[in-house]
Amino acid sequence: MPSWADFQPFIVSGLALGGVYALSGVGMVVLYQATGVVYLAFGAVGAMGALIAWSLINAGTPEWLAWLVCVLFGGGVTLAYGMVFGPPLARRDPLVKAVATLGLTLVLFGLMDLLWTTNGGQSRAITLPTDNGGFTVGQIQVTWTQVIGLAAGIAIVVVTEVFLRYTKPGTAMRAMANDREITATLGVPVRRVEAAAWFGCGVIAGAAGLLLADLVALDATTLTFLVISSLAAALIAQLRSIVLTFVAAIAIGLIHDLITPIQALSNYRDMTPFVLAAVALLVPARQQLLSQSREEA
Amino acid sequence: MLDTASRSAGARQRAPLRTPAGRTLANAVASAVLLVIALVALPDLLSIYYIDAMTQVAVYAMVALGLGLLVGRVGLVSLGQVAVLAVGAWVAARLLFATAQPYPVVLLEAGLITMAAGTLIGLPALRLRGLYLALITLMLAGGITIVLTTTNFPNGGHGFLGYNGSLVHIPAIRRPAIAASDPGYYRYSVVVAALMFLLVIVHLKTRPGRAWAAIRQSEPAALAAGISTTRYKLWAFALASFITGVAGGVLAGAVQYLYSIDFPTQDSITLLAVVLMGGVYSLWGALVAALLLQLLPALLHNWGVSADWLTILFGIGVVQVLTTAPGGLADQVPKDLARLGRLLLGVAGRLRPGAPRGGGPP
Repeated sequence: MPSWADFQPFIVSGLALGGVYALSGVGMVVLYQATGVVYLAFGAVGAMGALIAWSLINAGTPEWLAWLVCVLFGGGVTLAYGMVFGPPLARRDPLVKAVATLGLTLVLFGLMDLLWTTNGGQSRAITLPTDNGGFTVGQIQVTWTQVIGLAAGIAIVVVTEVFLRYTKPGTAMRAMANDREITATLGVPVRRVEAAAWFGCGVIAGAAGLLLADLVALDATTLTFLVISSLAAALIAQLRSIVLTFVAAIAIGLIHDLITPIQALSNYRDMTPFVLAAVALLVPARQQLLSQSREEA
Repeated sequence: MLDTASRSAGARQRAPLRTPAGRTLANAVASAVLLVIALVALPDLLSIYYIDAMTQVAVYAMVALGLGLLVGRVGLVSLGQVAVLAVGAWVAARLLFATAQPYPVVLLEAGLITMAAGTLIGLPALRLRGLYLALITLMLAGGITIVLTTTNFPNGGHGFLGYNGSLVHIPAIRRPAIAASDPGYYRYSVVVAALMFLLVIVHLKTRPGRAWAAIRQSEPAALAAGISTTRYKLWAFALASFITGVAGGVLAGAVQYLYSIDFPTQDSITLLAVVLMGGVYSLWGALVAALLLQLLPALLHNWGVSADWLTILFGIGVVQVLTTAPGGLADQVPKDLARLGRLLLGVAGRLRPGAPRGGGPP
């Protein structure tokens, strides 16, 4: 059994990873609430944004501009998808909407493999300037990127909660989560609010892609399907509660990293999100809640 | 696919119960002819490269058959079928190394054990519906993939897992004596696939098929008609897992060396997209999907075109199927061909002097 000292660095990395999972999870919950779409292309959009940023930086573009392009790319692609395919699928089952975003995932994934080939095993990396700086807590080295990871998670929760509670478009989104038809009848510009949700979700996807590219790896496959792990957090929160998504994401990140030094379990650490989500979904008490969820309404 | 918007479209062709006798006959004749071509002509015509690709087509036709059954007939979407395939392949490989049982017995056992595993997982999962069921299967597939990555596939080692990381000469997974060569094994897999299709057809023509059709239309109505919805849904899950497990067994003998890297979770996603593209309301869809998934990449590879174009095509295809053509290619292509035929007939009719205007059947 490893000693406490072995675990310490993993607390920091776990919190940072959890923060980014939270960022992704919250992005997906907000979009699901506003439009009923589980956005499975979330990871692919972020991955492509990060790869574009990598290419731009290599071509000599100032870094801040490359990051901006990455985030805007996420927002742009997501908004475009939402505008084109949102309306024709609006009245379909949530499952159909989710599977349709898998189509976008495959298109982006194919494009990434085509444009950024992985021949020769050369690896790409995005290093944010925040990697170098840092400080130590006790004996643990903490980089600023890790701080940003956790801070981004916390920030997104606070901002989203405030936005949904106190602003007009936020209120409109909550209303649409309850009933799209009635909200439209009351004079809310449903399409415009949806567009805002799509764009916001895409921007978050771009930012998450950038952070994950630095914290995990800049690799199309890894980043694209990392969405499954962040989706787990959203699923534990039943695609509803933002705070719960955050808590679940932090738990997933922490457990995932804290298992790492334990030899017997280390190889299984990537199962953490799946196991937690499966348990959360399959515990019978939840069934009641789920069957009353939006999908049946 | 599963909701009202496409239900009417689905109802029109999901009709093994109401198929006109002529179409049943035509389907039977077409299948028989195809089977004869696949068994007799193809092995002589094709190079080993394409024969191996066609063996994969047979395997994936079974996988697509299982998933198409779940999605099209019962309305259950699974995003974890490749993980189920991997389980089947693992079990078969383990049995083939450990025992000297005849191949068909091993296939049967692989199917049954995979079925047991699938049912065990399916039992709690069936309480969930639609989106949540699909996502939970995705999570479970992710979990299974990681376990298999850690345990590895049997390579002739000892112990329960049968994996020995330090083996230098890894023995190949054995094939049946009557099908040791590549063309022989190809024929063998086509026969197994044909048997699986028959198994599904028997199910569809009898009580379970009717029950599934009722469940797909409306679960409350099926329940009210006295159909045990849980039992029949579980039955569908079990049948699909069985078929996929058998497919895994066939795959083990086909590739002879199995690696966990060959079964990534994302393949389950691609599989669903392609099965939807092929068409889930017709059994032909499974064959179309398998050709798209296995033969097309082989062709493209031969032509020097990147397989990534295919991924892009699948992405566009699945969105197109969901928005405009719920029946998939198996439904759309004959329809479009008929339309084209009518158009050509009409043009030909107009060119002939004295022919009635507007030609073609109404």
